[in-house]
Amino acid sequence: MISRRDLLKVAGAAAAGAATAGAERAALPAGAAPAAHPESLHEQSSPRRPLEALTADEADLLTAIVARLIPSDPSGPGAVEAGAVTYIDRSLAGPLSSSREAYRRGLAALERYATLSRGQPFRELSPTDQDSLLIDVETGGATASGAGFDGSSAAFFAMLKAHTWQGTFGDPYYGGNQGFVGWAMLGYPGVRTAVTPDDQRLGARPVPLRRSAYDTDLFNKA
Amino acid sequence: MNRRHLLLVVVGTLAVVLAGEARAPQSLIVTSPAIKAGETIPRDYTADGRNISPPLQWSGAPASTREFAVICDDPDVPMPQPFVHWVIYKIPGTATGLPENIPIDPATPMPAEIAGAVQGTSGFRRPIYRGPAPPPGKPHHYHFRVYAIDAVLDLKPGLTKRELLEAIQGHIVGEGELVAIYERKPAPQP
Amino acid sequence: MAQTLKGADVVIIGLGAAGGIACLPLAEAGLEVVGLEAGTWLTRRDFAPDEIRNNVRDWPQAVQKANHEVPTHRANASAPTTRAASHPMMNGVGGTTLHYWAQSWRLNPWDFKVVSETTRRYGRARIPAESTVEDWPFGYEELEPYYDKVEWETGVSGKAGNLKGELDLRGNVFEGPRQREYPMPPLRGTGFTDLMAAAARGLGWRPFPGPAQINSRTFQDRSPCMYHGYCNRGGCHVDAKNGTNVTTIPRAQKTGRFRVVTRAHVTTIDVDARGRVSGVRYVTDGQEFVQPARVVLLGAYVYENVRLLLLSKSKAFPDGLSNNHGQVGRHYLSHATGASVTALFPFDLNTWYGLPAQGVAVDDWADDNFDHAGLDFIGGGNLWIYSDRRPIQAANMNTFGRAPGWGAQWKAFIRQSADRANTAYLQKTTLPYEANYLDLDPEVRDPLGFPVLRITADYRDNERRIAAFIQDKMEAWYRAAGAIDIVRGPLGTMGPNTHAYGGTRMGDNPETNVVDRWGFSHEVPNLGILGGSVMGTSGAHNPTLTLQALAWRTADHLVRSWKSIAE
Ligand SMILES: Cc1cc2nc3c(=O)[nH]c(=O)nc-3n(C[C@H](O)[C@H](O)[C@H](O)COP(=O)(O)OP(=O)(O)OC[C@H]3O[C@@H](n4cnc5c(N)ncnc54)[C@H](O)[C@@H]3O)c2cc1C
Repeated sequence: MISRRDLLKVAGAAAAGAATAGAERAALPAGAAPAAHPESLHEQSSPRRPLEALTADEADLLTAIVARLIPSDPSGPGAVEAGAVTYIDRSLAGPLSSSREAYRRGLAALERYATLSRGQPFRELSPTDQDSLLIDVETGGATASGAGFDGSSAAFFAMLKAHTWQGTFGDPYYGGNQGFVGWAMLGYPGVRTAVTPDDQRLGARPVPLRRSAYDTDLFNKA
Repeated sequence: MNRRHLLLVVVGTLAVVLAGEARAPQSLIVTSPAIKAGETIPRDYTADGRNISPPLQWSGAPASTREFAVICDDPDVPMPQPFVHWVIYKIPGTATGLPENIPIDPATPMPAEIAGAVQGTSGFRRPIYRGPAPPPGKPHHYHFRVYAIDAVLDLKPGLTKRELLEAIQGHIVGEGELVAIYERKPAPQP
Repeated sequence: MAQTLKGADVVIIGLGAAGGIACLPLAEAGLEVVGLEAGTWLTRRDFAPDEIRNNVRDWPQAVQKANHEVPTHRANASAPTTRAASHPMMNGVGGTTLHYWAQSWRLNPWDFKVVSETTRRYGRARIPAESTVEDWPFGYEELEPYYDKVEWETGVSGKAGNLKGELDLRGNVFEGPRQREYPMPPLRGTGFTDLMAAAARGLGWRPFPGPAQINSRTFQDRSPCMYHGYCNRGGCHVDAKNGTNVTTIPRAQKTGRFRVVTRAHVTTIDVDARGRVSGVRYVTDGQEFVQPARVVLLGAYVYENVRLLLLSKSKAFPDGLSNNHGQVGRHYLSHATGASVTALFPFDLNTWYGLPAQGVAVDDWADDNFDHAGLDFIGGGNLWIYSDRRPIQAANMNTFGRAPGWGAQWKAFIRQSADRANTAYLQKTTLPYEANYLDLDPEVRDPLGFPVLRITADYRDNERRIAAFIQDKMEAWYRAAGAIDIVRGPLGTMGPNTHAYGGTRMGDNPETNVVDRWGFSHEVPNLGILGGSVMGTSGAHNPTLTLQALAWRTADHLVRSWKSIAE
């Protein structure tokens, strides 16, 4: 897995090479020192779970993409730490198997597009160029680039984004939202099976319950 | 088409469009160190490259100019209205152009010489420059249009082209454009 | 080879909201009743608070029938046809009452008399020329005892606003007179719904808690609501949602005269030489069965009701059962619930818990509750605010132009705003039109090889004008409560809907209606039809309590007229 520090190294080099002030600024968010941020250390040290559907290359690329969609930053961890990639991988081996091929083709096209348009594989681009590229994929600008998107690049992006959101904010039972980072980001107080009038007051802050629906033994597993 | 020719066309059109206005806006000369009028836009300013905003320069603005606005659009799309690639305004009246690569991250401040400038919503529904990404088949024309405005208007960020034009109506004292082309080749058959 | 089973007095096709009601009065009256249901039983253990399962993927129903026969849709006869990937109607014992929102409204008296009341008050010209709307064959008063029956037999919580003509501002003062209170007090309010109610009062409006087929306290030995959320497309883990699966169906079974057959996918209704219905055919795991019956009640939801009739062709009915007047599929409409309004507040709303039926309503702008003299439409909308928010849904919220849809800026936005937005549910009067109808799709087929239904329908000016009017009202309400930003959604298209009406409309005139005032076919005396397909108007409120009251009334009529109908 590519680490945040590696990303920044590459970004720094790219910024120096191209001498574009914008890229440099974006690589280091104002007042932040992401390389030393504890969450990024966590990211480097957590070993990836065995893949069920994606190849290692695909998973690496996907990791770099979701790291831009919901980044880890001083405010807290993001989609990588939530295990969005694990969620997507497991889903593609199961209920979303019909999307497996769309991922294979979409990721390959995105990588080709990175090289065609920005001259480097996605993971070697600066964060700003990665964002710029993802915007082109999201808005359909990459569609007719010759990179080989199947239909509109926007459709691929929409699918990838939807699954990343599911893998960040869904029940951890499905492999994502690890450590409940997604629910913490939203301030969602968690799955309860009974809620009091007090819990529903304006200004109330119910104590966050951090468990999966299936931790309770009340329910048949999905 | 050379630039003088283009400008003549532009001025002619403006005269018709603005016939009802009290005074016709002066024509600005719009150029770019990176883009030649009528020629192909370099890849870096398109979705086939880094897709950064191109540098622009202008001259000929009347003394009454307080602010500038820039709109880039493409009338060659198969839609009733030109497709909008860029909307940027509240550019200080002292500016003589836009530097390359206006930041796409709104948290990043604008370059000093255009401090205070804000961006509007393009056809891509984002408040940033997104360059040519045309469907293949024919060259598309990209119009970088610069407006000189004689007032400091209270304009919120994120305006669409239409909203911006409505807001600056009656305050346009100068106008000019740079037109260049871009074409994508059809993808090779697999 | 089809296997022919022992005959029954009555066969009910589909045990959902409507069929699940009709079985009780029939079985209690001593008739032998068989219920054929395509789905299976589900229990509270199937109802996990799991957004991925309930709202992202296809719900734990064992049988995915509705999803395999989603109707196609086109706006008009020359528009392109599209088809949605799925449809949220449920296949299971209890039907869509398993996972619906359980808002349990009566229609407004005006909804029964749109033509005569509009003509009386504003002149006939105010009814859109292309509309095929008719008065119902009876008024609100005729249905009142059945509304009352269903409210008390299943359990509805709410507050009366019109008790025998006595108005009470704590309830809905625009409702028709009711003979007694609701069996249970309303579901409780929340901080946010109280805030909205106060804002509505500040505008001079009359807010009230909406009625819900959900226990606000222990009822019939079942638990009160736990307010834990996941009720929208989720079943109830404590059986506090009074779907027919936990109320009328088990009670009908207790009589010993109601047999529930699950996994029974009905494909055709058979007709004898006299043109009377003789029974139905169904398939279970590839095996075909014939279930003879003296009377058939069809309650498979609007789309399947119409499709089964059109598929059941015979000598007597060459264009489909009960369709010799060409009325099957006509007068179709689906509730205009698009044109949403979403508000952003500068503070947390704490709407993470609750349920879509826990909320506050305003009916000041519904039906004919306000003067339309200076307006260019008839009807109106119900404004509904509720407390219910799920994490994935919240993370997909509109960013009000304040942030892009992803990235660091989005993350900063969502960290601050995930609990600060609210979307109103706005149900609006929708009229039937000559050019809006259902028929069989010429190309698309279901897995058994039968054509799926095709919807040809579009909203017209009356719906568009109501939408804009109601959005203005809703925006004013949100702003009065402190909202700082508003986005409005489009009215949308008329694809497959959870509130569908018409296709087998009820009325005295057989030239323009499929069933008579009792819900029995004008052309086939021993065929009754249950559900929204018999309703000719939508009003501005969810349909289920009305179609349940109608189902009870149809069953009642069958019991009273057994001889003339069954023999
Ligand atoms: C998410 C959601 C929320 C809703 N919220 C509300 C609300 O708050 N208030 C309200 O009033 N309404 C609500 N509705 C609408 C409500 O669900 C319907 O009005 C109601 O269920 C319709 O009743 P029905 O009996 O006609 O159909 P259903 O309840 O859908 O029942 C039809 C039954 O027939 C069975 N069936 C279908 N075809 C066949 C066949 N060929 N053979 C055998 N069986 C068959 C199905 O499996 C199903 O069980 C909601 C709907 C949805 C999807």
